[in-house]
Amino acid sequence: MRLVVVRSGGIAGMTRTWSSEVSSQEAEERWLPLLQDPPAADAQKDVPDRFTYEISVGKAAVTIPEESLQGRWRELVDRARKGNGEARAPE
Amino acid sequence: MTCSAKSPTSCSIVPPYLLARIAEHPDRLAAAADAAKRTLLEQPAVVESRMQHRTAPIPGSGTALTPKLRRTVFDAGQKQDLPGIPVRTEGAPPTSDPAADEAYDGLGATYNLFSDAYGRSSVDGAGRPLHATVHYGRGYDNAFWDGNQMVLGDGDGEVFERFSKSLTVIGHELAHGVIQYTARLVYRGQAGALNESVSDVFGALVEQKFLGQSAGEASWLIGEGLFTPAVSGQGLRSMSAPGTAYDDDVLGKDPQPADMSGYVETSADNGGVHLNSGIPNRAFYLAASRLGGYAWERAGQIWYDTITEPNFPADCTFSLFAAATVTAAEKRYGAGGAESSAVQAAWKEVNVVV
Repeated sequence: MRLVVVRSGGIAGMTRTWSSEVSSQEAEERWLPLLQDPPAADAQKDVPDRFTYEISVGKAAVTIPEESLQGRWRELVDRARKGNGEARAPE
Repeated sequence: MTCSAKSPTSCSIVPPYLLARIAEHPDRLAAAADAAKRTLLEQPAVVESRMQHRTAPIPGSGTALTPKLRRTVFDAGQKQDLPGIPVRTEGAPPTSDPAADEAYDGLGATYNLFSDAYGRSSVDGAGRPLHATVHYGRGYDNAFWDGNQMVLGDGDGEVFERFSKSLTVIGHELAHGVIQYTARLVYRGQAGALNESVSDVFGALVEQKFLGQSAGEASWLIGEGLFTPAVSGQGLRSMSAPGTAYDDDVLGKDPQPADMSGYVETSADNGGVHLNSGIPNRAFYLAASRLGGYAWERAGQIWYDTITEPNFPADCTFSLFAAATVTAAEKRYGAGGAESSAVQAAWKEVNVVV
């Protein structure tokens, strides 16, 4: 299963994409449960020029602000970035 | 852009050719990727205080205090704890740190634009102290306004230099502070792109006034000098020619649209706020160029009047904003004058219906 992270925003407005192929077992045990319980979206907390992360694991996808990228979410993004160094479009 | 109708959250503004190109150049992006990874690992909770201080304090009656410039620059020491250690306060001599001194000078130049040109004291109009933090994070490729202060990263050294190098970036961040106390534009979709554009407008004007440049002499670039020599580009954005600021074999081409025909629909970047800002940016440039002289005078005054209009709609669209600028021009300079005509023509040229 593919982890895809699209980081957008920042004052530069440049989008970076990272992805990594993980086993179904890893996705189901480590990452999919996380995506079922995303940080509450709060448009009031949109902070100018901070990054936004679109994270998808297979067909599940969430969007979270940079400020929410802590703990397991950081690990997930790190996992996608560590993957194979390949950048490709989300499917 | 690529976008799946079934899964709108997986839209990407990155075209496949760019993704392929990045994949082909892992070496040049390695440092940036490593720096960003460190940033992720160190990410602390950010002060969620943007909603505070939305309203400027009411000056006490009979007060003898005159609002004035009060700056403090902090050093985060490459950590992500705000604000960090104070390294330069108002009136103190320069430090030996270029980032701290650039931030200090940038706060001053921004204060001067708003104070001298529009009679506004600081971001809140009531002399609020201006705070900046430099050396935020390790290799942090960004600058932002967190609702209370400006925060500047050092850049990864491979794509980006330190963000304090650009006066337009400093002006841009503080302008977000001004918007927070005035139009309060929602940071999403068209209103978000207007928030970004107004920040670019005043960021550019801070630099133009500091350098004494007329509209015809100015570069109209945002973030000039931020790229390392390895990148083929002049800056982050071009207000005069959106979409032409950079064209690099790794970063690709500047994706900003120059008029409404190129408006980008995306879920990324809060709905493309840093992309679609190219459209109102160019409208400002066109209006300022048509009027000539110093852009912070008439064009800047019209934009300032627009965002400081009471009861301005926070969810403003491009069309509503355009109409508001025309109204502001007529109000200050008279209906049918050169100013309102220039503003109307500018919006027409970028295909925004007034």
